[in-house]
Amino acid sequence: MASVELRGIRKSYGPNVVADGLDLAIRHGELVCLLGPSGCGKTTTLRLIAGFIAPDAGTVTVGDRVLSSAGRAEPPERRRMSMIFQSYALWPHMTVAENVAYGLRLRRTSAAEIERRLALILGVTKLEALRGRYPGELSGGQQQRVALARALIVEPETLLLDEPLSNLDTNLREEMRYEIRRLHDAFRYTTVYVTHDQLEAMTTADRIVVMNGGRIVQIGTPEEVFLRPETEFVARFIGGTNILAGRRDHGLVRSGPLAIAYGSGDPGTGAETRLSIRPHEIEMLAGQPPGGAANHFAGKVVRHTYLGAARDYLVELDGGQLMRVSTRLETVAAQGDAVTLHLPPHSCRALPR
Amino acid sequence: MSGAPPSARRRFDPSLLLFGAIAAGLAVLVAMPIGWLGWFSITDSAGDLSLGAFARLVSDPAMRKPLAITLAIALGAALLSCLVAIPLAWLVARTDVPLRRVIRALVTASFVTPPFLGAVAWELLAAPNSGMLNQLARAWFGLGEFEYVVDIYTAEGVTFCIACYTFPYVFTLLANALENIPADIEDASHILGGITWATARRITLPLILPAILAGALVCFLQALTIFGTPAILALPAGFHTLTTKIWSLFQYPPQTNLAAAAAMPLLLITLLVLHLQRRLLGRRGFTVIGAKNTPPRLIRLGAWRLPALALCSLIMLNPVFLPYFALIKAAITHRISDPLSLETLSLRHLRFILWDFSGTRPAMINTLILGFSAATIVTAAALVVGYLSSRQLVPGARFLPAPAMAPIAVPGIVMGVGLFLVYSRPPFLLYGTLWILVIAFVTLEMPAGFQQVQAAMRGLHVELEEAARIFGATRLVALRQITAPLLRTSIIATWSIVFIAVIRELSATILLTTSETKVISVVIYDLNESGELGAIAVLGLFLLLVTFAVILLVNRLPILGGPARVRM
Repeated sequence: MASVELRGIRKSYGPNVVADGLDLAIRHGELVCLLGPSGCGKTTTLRLIAGFIAPDAGTVTVGDRVLSSAGRAEPPERRRMSMIFQSYALWPHMTVAENVAYGLRLRRTSAAEIERRLALILGVTKLEALRGRYPGELSGGQQQRVALARALIVEPETLLLDEPLSNLDTNLREEMRYEIRRLHDAFRYTTVYVTHDQLEAMTTADRIVVMNGGRIVQIGTPEEVFLRPETEFVARFIGGTNILAGRRDHGLVRSGPLAIAYGSGDPGTGAETRLSIRPHEIEMLAGQPPGGAANHFAGKVVRHTYLGAARDYLVELDGGQLMRVSTRLETVAAQGDAVTLHLPPHSCRALPR
Repeated sequence: MSGAPPSARRRFDPSLLLFGAIAAGLAVLVAMPIGWLGWFSITDSAGDLSLGAFARLVSDPAMRKPLAITLAIALGAALLSCLVAIPLAWLVARTDVPLRRVIRALVTASFVTPPFLGAVAWELLAAPNSGMLNQLARAWFGLGEFEYVVDIYTAEGVTFCIACYTFPYVFTLLANALENIPADIEDASHILGGITWATARRITLPLILPAILAGALVCFLQALTIFGTPAILALPAGFHTLTTKIWSLFQYPPQTNLAAAAAMPLLLITLLVLHLQRRLLGRRGFTVIGAKNTPPRLIRLGAWRLPALALCSLIMLNPVFLPYFALIKAAITHRISDPLSLETLSLRHLRFILWDFSGTRPAMINTLILGFSAATIVTAAALVVGYLSSRQLVPGARFLPAPAMAPIAVPGIVMGVGLFLVYSRPPFLLYGTLWILVIAFVTLEMPAGFQQVQAAMRGLHVELEEAARIFGATRLVALRQITAPLLRTSIIATWSIVFIAVIRELSATILLTTSETKVISVVIYDLNESGELGAIAVLGLFLLLVTFAVILLVNRLPILGGPARVRM
């Protein structure tokens, strides 16, 4: 198994820059998620790694092999990779067994060896009973498992997954998330996993690469990107958050009439800055704020939603800022009630403007 | 893991060379005849720049009148097509009229019937003296010997005969549109309080109107540029349409400059109409169509089922029942004026076509050679272009469909004039050979072939091929093992469509054929001039048989090899 390294990768279609100087090193046996909204360049990045497209500049290296460089790409079939496609791309004119064994056939593996590995992989993916079926006769989940089996049977150096779960319904998706992680722990292929679903990235990835507008905006473990987002985009995209715009003022952030203390992050060097605080970190109290207590602000409930396991409030602070607050069920307030929001400083994270 | 080299190498893909050659060939195929056509239209016979040809086009009554007649006929045929196709399509697509599948099959039969054959059949039926319908009328109503009720040798007759074979365009587009209006869209209107008539007017009509107009425009174009029908029906009556006029300008002494200028209005009107049609269909894009939705509700006709069926049959009398009957009768009776009875049965015409007439065998052979070669070349080229453009393989691949689609704007007779100008002089002296016909058919049928292939490629997810690549297949292996088998049905369908179109082509053929390179359609036209209608009937039925055999074969395709269980 090899490491995958991207250095200074750029790709544009006409004026449209889809990959803007990507640098990324993926370690042996690591599962990395490329996470971002649609159009952020994550699928392009995966296709650059697969060799379906060549970069305009930069290199893709696997192990000690330079596979892509400016304007040229080693063709996909020579990259020792395998891939699971968003559409699964099962060949409708071949049975499950033929689909899965295709890669081995091309490698001129002996019939006996093909049969041995086929039996093994169909067992792992629970497909033995379906080996004679055609893809059109399978359910979405079964098709997904065939795609998985077909990708794993060739024992690739690198495994690429392009939104593999986006066509499944919610229950199946959750099950397959753990399945993919389980198979990764069993086989330990270097894996690049593209998704727009942060939950999927959180449950499967060793590291998450957050992308936006053709750039990598942050790389870190799921915990790191969730707890220590470095930009407003990452804070919003992963987990959802409240953003307060303000100005730096002697170690505090001043947002309208409010002076807010923060416990982490980097307010940047400019005068303008941002504070991020997640809805579930905010404490909601009844009545007016106690005098002199730091980060306690008066507000009014604008909207209340009962979510079963929690309550979701929208509170307008006296400075006019709207805050989402997620509380336990016991915290009850009606629309129009005057409340106090406590933003614990250690949960307030400053982000450079 | 095996087979991959340790380091990346830059490898030249030889297939790109072939791709480039095909792209260049396509461009030349269209650009040369149209370029020459344009050049000839603005020069005189000495080769000097001159607008004399255009001046004659607008000033000479012998040129102006055919243009006016052509426009009137085209307009009439389009209107008549709508008039019959709209009720027919509605009945078949939205009501429980009996025998809907049979009616559809009959429309398909009209669609593939060569219009010139239909015109000959209608000569048999409605010529003022010998026409069967007129004979019947005389017998029934006791008319005098030279009295008649219908005369096909008129502008109205030409219009009617053209409409018989153009209405399927409106029918098909409209029936598809009607079938694709999901019941829930109409339900939504009902729920919102729209009564049935309001629903029809506000919801259904706006959804189907573009289909009707688009169909009518196709009819208009077909009627505008058709050669066979007016050549058979208008020339004996002593008037010209633009196409027959162009043809006559090639008779001795040839006036090629004037012919080139006369072809220009056809080219320009076609461009204009196609532009209109694209705007019509493109703007709203029929977004409901193709969406997953509930099938339309069939309207119950109740007591009106049989009258509705009668109406459908009445309509289908004209393009199918009557002409086919006339052809069969003419083929098996001794003389065409004979009544159909045991005494008049004769194999004379069959014998004449098969043994006595020396023109049959070479024409059949030529037709088959041309059909096979043009269909094969078009299918292959369309596949390559469709593949390149849908996969964006070479730089500029997205510009490839343009030259492949360009001939759609060039009517057959216009293409015929252009090709004649290019290939009847050095350096490309192909006039008089089958090659010029191959080039003509390949050029003319490329758009149809390409559209077929493009639709198929769109339905074939690019990831299917990419999957093969990533698992170790080279591009060519992926093409052979994945793409080709999945496209097989479309490939055969494309081939057949081109084949059928080629064996019935007359408009371009008539200008490019010589005594050495006759094809069946031209032989039929020649026999018509010498009045051998019985022999035409035999040849025409043969043409129809081949056509129906090919269609039947295509429709049964899914059973032809391959796992029938494949579903996607």
